[in-house]
Amino acid sequence: MSINTNLIKDGFTLEDILRDTLESNYIDDSYYAKLRNDMDEWEGKGTVLNEEERQAYESLIIHENWLLDRRAFEQWYQLYSRECVYWVPAVGELPDAERADPQRQVTIAFDDRRRMGDRIVWLRTGVAYSQLPPSYTSHVSASFVRLPTEKEGEIKIRSQFIVQEMRGGHAIQTFSGWMGHVFVEEGGVIKIDRKVVCLLDAPRNHHNLTFLL
Amino acid sequence: MNIITTSESSFGHLIEEGRVHRTLYTDTDIFRLEMSRVFGGTWTYLAHASELPKPNDFVRKKLGLRPVIITRDREGKFHGLLNRCTHRGATICRQDEGNARRFTCPYHNWSFTNTGELAAVPLEEGYGPSFKKEELGLGKLRVESYRGFIFGTLNKELPDLKTHLGPSAELLDEWLDRWPGAELQLRRGQTRFTCAGNWKLIYDNAADGYHPGYSHASLLRMRKDRYGGGVDMQWALGNVDEGLQTVSDCGNGGTFIDQRAEIIRYWDQSAPMPGEGPYERIISEKMGDKADAALDVVMGSGMNINIFPNLLIIGNQIQVIEPQSVNKTNINWYATALVADDLPDEVNSLRMRLQEDFPSFGEPDDLANFEECQAGLEIEEVEWIQTGRHMDTGKEYIGAKGMLSGPVSDELPLRVFWKEWQKRIEQGNTGGTK
Repeated sequence: MSINTNLIKDGFTLEDILRDTLESNYIDDSYYAKLRNDMDEWEGKGTVLNEEERQAYESLIIHENWLLDRRAFEQWYQLYSRECVYWVPAVGELPDAERADPQRQVTIAFDDRRRMGDRIVWLRTGVAYSQLPPSYTSHVSASFVRLPTEKEGEIKIRSQFIVQEMRGGHAIQTFSGWMGHVFVEEGGVIKIDRKVVCLLDAPRNHHNLTFLL
Repeated sequence: MNIITTSESSFGHLIEEGRVHRTLYTDTDIFRLEMSRVFGGTWTYLAHASELPKPNDFVRKKLGLRPVIITRDREGKFHGLLNRCTHRGATICRQDEGNARRFTCPYHNWSFTNTGELAAVPLEEGYGPSFKKEELGLGKLRVESYRGFIFGTLNKELPDLKTHLGPSAELLDEWLDRWPGAELQLRRGQTRFTCAGNWKLIYDNAADGYHPGYSHASLLRMRKDRYGGGVDMQWALGNVDEGLQTVSDCGNGGTFIDQRAEIIRYWDQSAPMPGEGPYERIISEKMGDKADAALDVVMGSGMNINIFPNLLIIGNQIQVIEPQSVNKTNINWYATALVADDLPDEVNSLRMRLQEDFPSFGEPDDLANFEECQAGLEIEEVEWIQTGRHMDTGKEYIGAKGMLSGPVSDELPLRVFWKEWQKRIEQGNTGGTK
């Protein structure tokens, strides 16, 4: 094993991820249709969260931010459902179902569960020179609202974010925009099924976006 | 040794057999000359026809540091116009793309046709007999295209584009004709990088068959640890010179890496991509005995075609180098789709995902290394960069299409680049606008 293992208790280890989801079997036309429908729904008018929603969803997004800032990628991976997507469009002026359509456009990141695993294994190889030294981030999320959705059993939460990133030898970079989280229940646990990160400067040139947003 | 970088006419002392001087990458005066004489002094890639498909479409681009507009007139002919009002100098086009018969300068509303003629001036009676409207059209580039690739130059003495491209034109044919009759289309989504390094570090790397096993160790190790051997870029491992890849000199600064002999079955050797299972099944059902061929065009071509000074065709992507300053470069990766009546669009659903793979797990590590090159090259005391690998090992030969060729780690492409660079920078851009 050439990977630098970093065992984290109570979470998936890198060993777990290496064996998990080695095929890509759920991204198809209906999944892309779901993402286009999401984009339409993100346009809607949100309502601020009630106490119960804050406890369930806002706290999970804050926890996700914390895990990313701690570089606890194996635990972060565990927050996601079996048929999840982590998606960072490369076009601006979103939400817009047509402009953003990932079936027709390349993106900054479009990770199904398998590619998400690839990304974590890649980050942990110790020879990804774009992450040597690694990036440290500070995620701040605010303005949480719940969006109405026609999909039964799904909860849609939109929020605004600012992420600062610091990497040895480089100036601190600041990213901002909005995120959409779609939550589902899986085995009695609330999981992130789909996350879209819409950067303010998505269509511009970026200097090293190899860390997770 | 005290090196004088800009005598403006001679650069031979900076380009020696087997090595070049570090200041070629760090000197701002040299950069300024490059932007005038290299970008624009030869056929320089501007845009792809599919970015402006309809009459009167336009896109905004750069020729070196010059803002330019590429237009398609109502007859479908391409034009390259300098984006500068001939009145007081403001740029007249401020959108990346659109459709317009005329461009009107927002400052005083001078208005130009999309072929560059000055069409209207407000309150024209304020100008006397010395005012020559016909002489105040926009600056015009010489523009030609080859199979959708639009190039421009300020050099009136260059031969036509196809002659200039030489064997690169045939290589483009091979790259484009993997699915005969298919039209190549650029998509709106692009992977746009910026790198704190000189633009030539990117060109140098595009035909560098020496680096992948090392600079891309993270990608190769991740693949091996998760999927075992057999997928994606395995030819980068071990002694690459004992493998089947080659590098070649395409003339006029163009270079070529050919990986095709290493690829037995494109689809089987592809990198993983989201949606692989479902779309493989659909393509197989739809295409029957042509399914293998359709799946193979999902994967990159196994060809790196580099056209001096700014166009790098790698895999299925079109990369364009946009220098910003001596130590800052934008690299734009345009994703491509293949459109044909006899090719299902599911191929493109996979192509989009596959074209995210190398930008995620490969290119960032190269860019990090280029930035460290730039940092190292700032050291005055260590002056030279080595370009001599396989220069004198007797391994070079005349290969396909009459091109001088060598084993894949040969630094022939660097030597080819510098020969052309020196020719262009010492000649000026010969001509100015049409």
